[in-house]
Amino acid sequence: MVQSAKPHSPIWCPGCGDFGVLAAVKRAAADLKIPTHELVLVGGIGCSGSIHNFLEINGIHALHGRLLAQAVGVKLANPSLTVLAAGGDGDGYAIGMGHFIHAFKKNASILYIVMNNETYGLTKGQASPTSQIGFEGNVEPPFHSILTALSIPAPNFIARTFSGDPKGMTAILEEALRFNREGRGFAFVEDLSPCVTYNDTYKLWREKVVDVSKLDGYDPTDRKRMFGVCLDIIDSGRIPIGVMHRPKDSDSAEGLEVKLVGSKRGPVRADSTLETNLPAYQKLLGGLA
Amino acid sequence: MSTPAAHPPSLPEETGPSAARPPMELSDLSVMIGGQGGDGTLTVSDLLGRYFRKRGLYVYTSRNVLSRIRGGHADASVRASRDPTSAVKPQVDVLVAFDNEAIQLGRAELAPHGFILYDSTTFHTDLPNAVGFPFATLVGGPLGQPIFKNTAAYGALSVLLGFDEPMTRSVIEERFKRRGGEALEKNLKALDIGRKAASENPDVPNRFSLVDGDAHSLILTTGNQAVALGFVVGGGRFFAGYPITPATEIMEYLQRYLPPFEGVVRQAEDELAAVNMIIGAAYAGARVMTSTSGPGLSLMTEGIGHAGTAEIPIVVADCQRVGPSTGQPTRHEQSDLSHLANLGHGEYPRFILAPSDPSDCFLLTTEALNLADRWRLPVILLLDQALCQNTATSRRFDLSAVHVDRGKRLTAEAVQKLEQYKVYQYGDGASPYAVPGTPGVWSEVTGNEHDEWGHVSVNPENRVRMMKKRMDKMVLARGELPNARLFGPPEAKIGLIGFGSTSGPILEAQSLLGAKGVPTRYLQVRTLYPVPVHEIEPFLRSVDVAFVVEHNYTGQFARLLRETIPAQYTKLRSILRYDGYTFRAPQIVQAVQGGK
Repeated sequence: MVQSAKPHSPIWCPGCGDFGVLAAVKRAAADLKIPTHELVLVGGIGCSGSIHNFLEINGIHALHGRLLAQAVGVKLANPSLTVLAAGGDGDGYAIGMGHFIHAFKKNASILYIVMNNETYGLTKGQASPTSQIGFEGNVEPPFHSILTALSIPAPNFIARTFSGDPKGMTAILEEALRFNREGRGFAFVEDLSPCVTYNDTYKLWREKVVDVSKLDGYDPTDRKRMFGVCLDIIDSGRIPIGVMHRPKDSDSAEGLEVKLVGSKRGPVRADSTLETNLPAYQKLLGGLA
Repeated sequence: MSTPAAHPPSLPEETGPSAARPPMELSDLSVMIGGQGGDGTLTVSDLLGRYFRKRGLYVYTSRNVLSRIRGGHADASVRASRDPTSAVKPQVDVLVAFDNEAIQLGRAELAPHGFILYDSTTFHTDLPNAVGFPFATLVGGPLGQPIFKNTAAYGALSVLLGFDEPMTRSVIEERFKRRGGEALEKNLKALDIGRKAASENPDVPNRFSLVDGDAHSLILTTGNQAVALGFVVGGGRFFAGYPITPATEIMEYLQRYLPPFEGVVRQAEDELAAVNMIIGAAYAGARVMTSTSGPGLSLMTEGIGHAGTAEIPIVVADCQRVGPSTGQPTRHEQSDLSHLANLGHGEYPRFILAPSDPSDCFLLTTEALNLADRWRLPVILLLDQALCQNTATSRRFDLSAVHVDRGKRLTAEAVQKLEQYKVYQYGDGASPYAVPGTPGVWSEVTGNEHDEWGHVSVNPENRVRMMKKRMDKMVLARGELPNARLFGPPEAKIGLIGFGSTSGPILEAQSLLGAKGVPTRYLQVRTLYPVPVHEIEPFLRSVDVAFVVEHNYTGQFARLLRETIPAQYTKLRSILRYDGYTFRAPQIVQAVQGGK
C-alpha cells in the first residue's frame, strides 16, 4: 500500500457539531462502499472547511466561498468521481452566496454540506448570515437556506440535519450520496452544527427542531406545500429538519454532468493525445481559409 | 533571426477623375466602411476580405465599434497588401459611408487621392471625390428591405476597384450559402443593383486597380480563434468563462470545437466561478483554460493566486482592453502587464506569454498548456484587443510544431511502485502528481501553506522550503519559455522592443525607417514574465538606444525592464499610445526619428 496523506486529528473544539458530520460522512461513504480514491471533498474556509484534512480521501482546501465552483469543476471534468463540498454558513451564505444559488440551478451531481452554527467561529464569534437578531449586535434577520433552496425550480435534493441526531444525519447523507451517484443532480444538506465556544445551541436546537417527515401529509416532492410547511415552522420560532425535497421521477438523471458528458468519458478520461486525434485536428484546422 | 520582407507602401501619384484617366494601381489598399451600428459595415469588411484573399493578397481588418448592440457610429477597415502586413494602413484610400458622421470621422484619415462612396438616401455631400448612390432606396424597392444596402455598396466598390466579376459574385455565394436560398438570392440581387448603379456613373468604374498577391496558401483568422484552436489541439478539454469583450469569442469558438473531443465548456455565473471551476477541473486532471479581460481578470486574481500556491496548472487568456474599471470595452490597450507581473497578494510563480500574431497565438496556447502542467502553476496568455479581434493573414497553423507534455503525471502503474505519495514533495519545481481516482492514493491540495502531504502547516522551516520550491520554478523553467524573435540587421544601433499586436506596426515602421536609411533592430518579446534578462540584456548592449513600444500611459514594460536590467536602463525610451487605437507605423517612425 502506497502511503498518502494521513488524516490529521481535527482542529475543532471538543463537542463541536462538526464531529458529527465527520463521523456521518465516514459512515455513509463506508456503507455505500465508495472507494476512497474515488472520493473528493472540497472544503471551504472556516472551522468546518478543514474536514477533508481528517479523512483519507482526495481533498481540496478551496478559497473562501469558492468551494462549489471548484467542486463543480471536479465533477464535470471527471463524472466518475464522487464529489462532496463542505463548509460553513459564512462561507456558503455570505461570501459564497452567488455560487450557492447557482449550484441549485446548475444541478451538478455533488453533495454540498453546510455546517451552520450561526456564527463565524474561526474568527471568534462574529455574526453570520444565519445569526439570530441580537446575536453580537446583529440587527439583520437570519437567512434561511432551505427556503431559498426550495424557491429554485430545479430537481435538487434538499435536506437539513442536526448534529444532535447523528443517526438521522447519516441516513440523509447516504440518500444524498446515492442521489449524486445516480447522476440525478445537486444535493444540499444543511447541518445544524452548534459552535460550543461562541454559540452553544445544542439544548435550544434540540427543543426547537421539527422533523418535517414526521408531519401529517409529508410530501417531499411538493415544493410549494413544503415551502409553506417550513415557513410556518420558522414563523412559530422552531426549526425544520429532515428531507425537504426530492424530485418526483426517481428514474430521471438530470445532473449537469449527465447532460454535458453523458456516457462519454469526459475531459479527464478522454484520450486527448495528439496522435489519436491527429486526423480530427487536421480536419478542424483544414476548415480555415 | 529573420528580416521582414515588408516593402514600404508604394502609392502612385494622384491622377484625378476624368473619363480618360487610367486606374490608379495599388499594391497596398485600405478601405474604411462607416455607418451606424446595424448598417452592416462589418459584413462589407468581411466580403472585401474574402475577395482580397482570393486575389492572394495579405489582409488585415480592424473594427471600431461601440459597446452596444445597435446604433452609434461603427466602422471597419480592410487593408489588402501584396506584402505581409498586420497593421492598419495609416491612410484610407476608399471611404464607404452610410451616414454623414462616417464621412466626418473618416475624412481625417483619407489619403489625398482618397475616394468617398456614400449612401445618398438620407444625406448629400459636396466634397470632391465623393460619389453618392441611394443604396437603401435602390435595394428597398425590388428587395422589400433596405438592409441589403451594404451588399449593394460592396457591388459599387467592386466596380470602383475593378474587381473580377465572377470572383465578386462567388464571395457573396460563399458568405450567404449557409443562410439559404432567399438570403443568397437577395444579396446577389443587391450586388447587381450596386454594380449597375456604379457602372452607370463615369466617375466610378475602375478608378483603382489592385495588383495580385501570392499569399494563397495562408489563412485569414483572429487571435481569439487561434487561441481556441490551440487549446483544442494542445489537449485542452475543460473551459469555463464569463462573457466579456474582447474575449468572448474564445468561449464561443470552444462551444463549437470542444464537444466532439469530449470537452466541456461552461459559461459561469461570474469570473470568480469561472477561474475556480477550471481550478477544480485541473485538480481532477483536465487541461484547462479560461479567458477574460481587465474587469474579469481583477476578479480572477484571487483564484490565480490560489492556483499559484496550491500548484494547480491553469491557463488564463487575458484579452486586454482599455482599463481600469469598465474602461472602454471595445478599445485596444496593453495596460494589464504591471498588474499581471505582480498579480495578487503574496508571492507565487507565474509565466506570462505574449504571442504576436494568430499563428503565434495558436502555438503559444499549446505551449502555455504544457508549461502549466510541467511546472504546476498559472500561465497567463497576454493578448490585446487588436490581436484578439482583428483578422490577419496568417501562416497555416502548424500541427507538427505542437507537442503535448503533461509533466510529471503519475500513472496508476507508476504509483504502485512508490512507497509514499506526497503531492507537494520537496525537490526541483513541480512534484509528481496523481489525479483523483488513481487507485491506492489520494491528493490533498490547499491554498494554505502546506507540508509535503498537503496538510496545512505553519512550520517556519517548511514555509521557507515551500516558498523556494515554488518560486524556483521561474528560474528552473527559463530554458523552456518561448524565445524572443529578432528582426533587422545586427549592426543597427537603434532598438525597438514590443510585444503582442504591436509587431505589425513595428515591422512596418522598421521597413519605412530602413527605406529612409535608418536601420533598426526589433526584439519581439514573447515571454514577458519572468523577464527574459538573458535575451533583453544582450539586445540592449548591442544598441545605443531602445524604444519600448506599448499601449499604455506609464510605459509598463519599460518600467519592468528598468527594474530588472538596471545596468542598461539609460538606453530605454518609451513610445506610447493609449487613446484606444492601435499604433500606425508613421507614429513610430516619427518617434524614433525624433529620438525621444
